[in-house]
Amino acid sequence: MEAILQAVLSGLALGGIYALVALGFNITNNTTKTLNFGQGEFLVAGAFVGVTLVLVLSGKGHVGVLQPEDVTLVKYLTGLVGIIAVLGTLGVFLYYTAVKPFVGAAGLAWVMSTIGFGIIIQNTALGIWGPAPLAIPSPLGNEVIRIGGAGILPQEILIFAVSVLVMVALDLVLLRTKIGKAVRAVAHNKNAAALMGINVPAIVILAFVVSSCLAGLGGLLVAPITTASVFMGLTLALKAFSAAIIGGLDNPRGCILGGFMLGLIESLIGLWHAELREISIFVLIIVVLVVKPEGLLGRKIVEKV
Amino acid sequence: MGRNAHLYAFPVAAVLLLGLPFAIGNEFYLKVMFLVGVYYLAAAGLNVLVGYAGQKSLGHAGLYAAGAYTAALLTAKLGWNPWLAFFASGVVAGVFGIVIALPSLRVKGPSLAMVTIGFGIVMEKIATEWTDVFGGQAGIHSVGSLRFGADPFAMRDWVLFVVVLCLISHLLMRSLLAGKYGRAFLAVHTAEVAAESVGVSVYRFKVLAFIVSAVFCGFAGALVAQQNQYINSDFVTFGLSIFFLLIVLFGGGGSIYGPLLGAIVLTLMDAFLARWPHLQHFVYGALLLFALYAMPDGLVGAVRGIGRKIFPGLYRRPPVPTAVAEWQLQRSEQLHADAPLLEAKGLYKAYGGVVPTNNVDIRIRTGHVHSLIGPNGAGKTTLLNILSGIVPPDRGNIVFNGVDTTELISNHICRLGIGRTFQNLKLFTDMTVLDNVMVGLHPHMDVGFWPCMLGTRSASRQEQEGREEALRILDFLGLLAKANDIAGGLPYGLQRRLEIARALATHPKLLLLDEPAAGLNPQETHELIEVIARIRTKGITVLLIEHHMDLVMAVSDHVFVLDYGAKIAEGAPAQVQANPRVIAAYLGEEVAEPDAATVVQARPAAA
Repeated sequence: MEAILQAVLSGLALGGIYALVALGFNITNNTTKTLNFGQGEFLVAGAFVGVTLVLVLSGKGHVGVLQPEDVTLVKYLTGLVGIIAVLGTLGVFLYYTAVKPFVGAAGLAWVMSTIGFGIIIQNTALGIWGPAPLAIPSPLGNEVIRIGGAGILPQEILIFAVSVLVMVALDLVLLRTKIGKAVRAVAHNKNAAALMGINVPAIVILAFVVSSCLAGLGGLLVAPITTASVFMGLTLALKAFSAAIIGGLDNPRGCILGGFMLGLIESLIGLWHAELREISIFVLIIVVLVVKPEGLLGRKIVEKV
Repeated sequence: MGRNAHLYAFPVAAVLLLGLPFAIGNEFYLKVMFLVGVYYLAAAGLNVLVGYAGQKSLGHAGLYAAGAYTAALLTAKLGWNPWLAFFASGVVAGVFGIVIALPSLRVKGPSLAMVTIGFGIVMEKIATEWTDVFGGQAGIHSVGSLRFGADPFAMRDWVLFVVVLCLISHLLMRSLLAGKYGRAFLAVHTAEVAAESVGVSVYRFKVLAFIVSAVFCGFAGALVAQQNQYINSDFVTFGLSIFFLLIVLFGGGGSIYGPLLGAIVLTLMDAFLARWPHLQHFVYGALLLFALYAMPDGLVGAVRGIGRKIFPGLYRRPPVPTAVAEWQLQRSEQLHADAPLLEAKGLYKAYGGVVPTNNVDIRIRTGHVHSLIGPNGAGKTTLLNILSGIVPPDRGNIVFNGVDTTELISNHICRLGIGRTFQNLKLFTDMTVLDNVMVGLHPHMDVGFWPCMLGTRSASRQEQEGREEALRILDFLGLLAKANDIAGGLPYGLQRRLEIARALATHPKLLLLDEPAAGLNPQETHELIEVIARIRTKGITVLLIEHHMDLVMAVSDHVFVLDYGAKIAEGAPAQVQANPRVIAAYLGEEVAEPDAATVVQARPAAA
């Protein structure tokens, strides 16, 4: 019983990361019908930029060993600001080099170009930081908190809280503000939105900036648990992508649901047979797609003949 | 490349490629050449799926693994003959191809990418985690190498063997993809609904494309496992799936030379840059990022563009004859005039609260021209979609020529003899006018997969006959001079007419035309009236949807009127024209009767 509670708690934290990144997929998919297949590398970039800023603020150069007392909440938050700046810029670059030339073109060009962009980022990171993982202690310390017999790290609570907060904020922005309305209008129909005086290119760029920042945030949040590694991106991003697809790529709430579901399933199956975790997740995805191709909360698209 | 050029170039290339291993002394270069061949095989198969059938796969490393581990397990654990194991690997990979095809058929776009990625990862994880069987990272040693006699292949033997496999594959692919299979794959790629409407089973061709690509990938995997005499889970990565896809896209999908160029250039680059792994990955990323931008049709497209300027003669399509015999249906395909051809009863279809087809009965008689008219949103196209099997009705039944077609899908209905055109044109835009019509002939070209792949005489004879008939059909519709033009480049009016030509190629007993005059100028509309009259003289029954009343009145024997999904009138054109309910539907009622007001309110807003 305790083990199950334990798995649920860490599943929720893991799910928060998946949901954040999945939400990023949703935003660009809705506005441009494309998404960044190199998002995993953006996650990596986020983690390293964040860790490096904390290191520099502690006067330790860009690769060093952080002690728990080095990582204060203020430094961690400064890292976050840095991530928003760097990843936002990367998002703009990504849009202009890898997405814009191919939007609306038939075929897979944008999939390949975004993967290419990711590979370049990964190798840049490899050049700067090298292959060794970079550890960062949690700003909230490493003391395990006991809830009903199950232990949970403060960082896991932070992940869950931050991701829920960000999702609620995004949901409110999308549904309650003028800019949110503009994003939704562009998602429904670009031409009509442009005719209503909405600056469509600006909204699209904003979508890529937000999407990249979400991935970067995911990287910063996950780094204290897994350590920051140049190679951690692919699996995380693939699972986030699966989460988006399972929940419904076109529905932000579906993506969130998918993220948490996947996190929970993954850690519950891990309880039973750790080595079956990934196999069963991807088998599950294939099954879900066969039964409900549009995702759990997705909208069915009827082709007009 | 034209037929003659290929006839000379192929033996020369074959001799050069078979001689090359003897000129290379260095083991490393031999290995590179071996890998070029292996990647070509994998990419040539994947090209059928990606370049021709238009299905994206990011999980083909999984199929490569299926082949590699089959060969490894059968030889190392069960002691099979290496040759037998090699062929078994193709078969097993083909079976896995079906396994991945079935879920893939249900989804499109990013979800399809996800299904294939998922498959690739599951295979990778199984190879890594199930160590009892697959050995995980430690791998499987002493995999049986292919051999003649007692000695296993040396590196040079491997290269020669792979070159032979590549040459054979090239010939097989060439004959398969130049004929009806290539056209059908491309048709599925560009317009699935249209492909179905001319009798091409989208389902069948997608599965087939998956199987072909899987078998080739499986052989590639087996080659690598048997040459190394070793395989472990590091061979199977997501990166490998991307590499396969990159070879096809960078080389140029949809051309048989694309994977060849891609495999040569990328493998050489990979080998050359291997000394600087860092740079290697950078170049790899940059290629992914910029190659498709600079060369949307891949290397082969770029080369072809240059080639066309220097040697225009090489790329000329066979000339079109200026005069051909008149197109005729066979006597056996003619039906008895005036007999009922199609009878639909109580057809009903609802989308939520909108009911575009509300208990409609229609009866179509052989040899007559029927029109279906009604205001916008009356449900005309939906009715046509139901009759042609694109949309299943919720209730009601349809009997066509003695067969109950209610439950049948589009391609089956086409084969029974219902052809159709589309309101929003659905041509195979990248194919030539002639090829569009030849796709229409697909259900009548009955040569099977193997003869087409082996390029037998019966396959080429049928191809030739098909071409001749397609030309006759084009002539019948005045499109003969445009036969070699790309369909997407035709003026709008001719595109509409090409759709009719394609539908006629299916030898329909009943031809459904969805707004054939939409967007036509008065001159073209006038010509269309003539075309419909001529189609009628061939004994083909017509049902058309139109808004041009002068056209409807000029060509129809019988008119159905729909309004809000229900049939409100039918009869001879003049009768219908005078019908007060029809006038009311089109122009509104003069006096607002009390019940009319409630009807307006009850009408759904978004019909």
